[in-house]
Amino acid sequence: MSDGGSFKGRLFVLAEFDKADALLDGTTAMREKGFKKLDTHTPYPIHGIEEALGLGRPKIPTIVLCGAILGIIVAYSMITYMNVIDWPINVANRPIHAPPANVPITFELAILLGGCSSFFGVMALMGLPKHYHPVFQSARFCEKASIDGFFLSVEMAHDGDVTSAKAAVTALGASHVEVIEELER
Amino acid sequence: MTTGYKDELDPRPFIEGEQTDRSLNDSLLHHVLRGAGKGWWTLFSISLCLLSILGVSLGWTLYKGIGAWGNNQPVSWGFGIINFVWWIGIGHAGTLISAILLLFQQRWRTSINRFAEAMTLFAVMCALIFPVMHTGRPWYAVYFLMPYPSVNGIWPQFKSPLMWDVFAVSTYFTISLLFWFLGLVPDLASLRDTAKSKTKRFVYGIFALGWRGSGRHWAEYKWAYLLLAGLSTPLVLSVHSIVSFDFAVSVMPGWHTTIFPPYFVAGAIFSGFAMVITWLVPARHYLGLKHVVTIRHLENMNKVILATGMMVSYGYLMEHFIAWYSGSPYEFGIFFHTRQRGPFSGVYWLMVFCNCVAPQFYWFKALRTNLMFMWIISIFVNIGMWCERFIIVVTSLHQDYLPGSWGDFSPTVTDLGLYIGTIGLFSTLFLLFMKFIPAVALTEVKELRHELEHEAHLDDAKGAHQ
Repeated sequence: MSDGGSFKGRLFVLAEFDKADALLDGTTAMREKGFKKLDTHTPYPIHGIEEALGLGRPKIPTIVLCGAILGIIVAYSMITYMNVIDWPINVANRPIHAPPANVPITFELAILLGGCSSFFGVMALMGLPKHYHPVFQSARFCEKASIDGFFLSVEMAHDGDVTSAKAAVTALGASHVEVIEELER
Repeated sequence: MTTGYKDELDPRPFIEGEQTDRSLNDSLLHHVLRGAGKGWWTLFSISLCLLSILGVSLGWTLYKGIGAWGNNQPVSWGFGIINFVWWIGIGHAGTLISAILLLFQQRWRTSINRFAEAMTLFAVMCALIFPVMHTGRPWYAVYFLMPYPSVNGIWPQFKSPLMWDVFAVSTYFTISLLFWFLGLVPDLASLRDTAKSKTKRFVYGIFALGWRGSGRHWAEYKWAYLLLAGLSTPLVLSVHSIVSFDFAVSVMPGWHTTIFPPYFVAGAIFSGFAMVITWLVPARHYLGLKHVVTIRHLENMNKVILATGMMVSYGYLMEHFIAWYSGSPYEFGIFFHTRQRGPFSGVYWLMVFCNCVAPQFYWFKALRTNLMFMWIISIFVNIGMWCERFIIVVTSLHQDYLPGSWGDFSPTVTDLGLYIGTIGLFSTLFLLFMKFIPAVALTEVKELRHELEHEAHLDDAKGAHQ
């Protein structure tokens, strides 16, 4: 804070709802009111949250498909290059290029790269690991969000009307509302 | 907050008692956050003793070489391969529960999947020790197992089932680990937020990766988890199929059969579920998990044991039928003379009793819901499946074609030490797991509770309407 506030933290309105259904309705209503940067925080996935947040189709299936196809290509070309082109091993004059014998490793590498792209792909899409996020500044959030709390966070512009956002979530039935100003670390 | 949704086929609840998210959270994390009790330390000390046997046996094997094992000519695959196949098979129940039952939307999987997945990881670790040591000089094994551009300018032989094994097992371990950890992340976040001590909050916080239950995250996460399940399902079937290719692709009597892949997979699931029962029956008591791991869950597992036991028995029958029907005297000899009346006939009949007869008691509801009884049967199955691998590996090798090249087999102390030692490794890892990681997939149980409650409301609404 030495240079007189060149740091501008993000600003959030964090609302807690009592029930998952209330959170769903509240999220939909807030989105319809024109609030763009919404996110929900729940201990387990809530059915219908994608629609409430207005999310598109998930991206991860495409990533996994690409990973699996890459695995097939890598495996088959590896086997072909190593055992057919670079170092053919003639065992009892069996065919040098034997597709059935290549199936298991091709299959396994498709699974391996598909599975790895699922895990690392979803981590990249979620932006994790990232141990810091302004919502963790709320003690109430840290106590409940991963256990039994249903939270809606609304990210505001710096000149945003925090008062009316607070009023909006309260009107939608939020049981507890607080404003979070990101602190400089 | 009732969980009163009624399944018409089986009205018993998946989660017993009136539970809330908070009560589930506290009861399922209790065993991690409380201090280790006397019982845990006792078991852990025993496990460490067994683990030290593994250390000594491994050290002796490395010093002396494979000559320290009972392997000989013609029995070139001894305890090493028996134990490898046994451990890998045990791991398979974990993937079956976590992946296949997820795809089939079996709700009873939720309480037991974390436990079984951990078992998979530890069993695969134990399994891997054996083929790696069996290479003789493991520090050279990388030269012929891994396809890397070596100065020798040669490559692995990819037509060999042993190479397929390398890829299958390493893929299996990697994917199981990723699947397990992905499911664990939200639970670690719960643990981070529930723990009181600063150290625990910090350590669990690191592994929770900053999870904040974001709806945008869940949207991708659910798919990633489902896709990993979808990939693991054919994977688990392929791994034991490929393990069976190690045998089936050869021309040894008793090995060269097409029934091996499905029969190995059934056997793997059979032994894996038995191992889950062996650990889960005491663990649910000591970890305080009886409200989520109910008799219904255990009974379902026993039904799977019964079903897969019948498949294994069918496999045995078919093997014998084909041996007779083939008209090959060597095949016939192995199945009807060597195995049934040869030097290892005791192991054979023990196998038949443990795998074919013992599970039949599970036809009776009173027996398959009796804790003590199911625990004993699970031990029988564990023993029976070990005997099966012994019979497959040893009898086919020690008396194959020419009587002049027949031989005998007996394990050495090192063999026994390695086997007991891996049991020590398994139990050590398992006890550490039960101390430091939630043994039940907490997030999924909460989600299940939420779904059940939702359905109960729908049912009530329907009832009120009529």
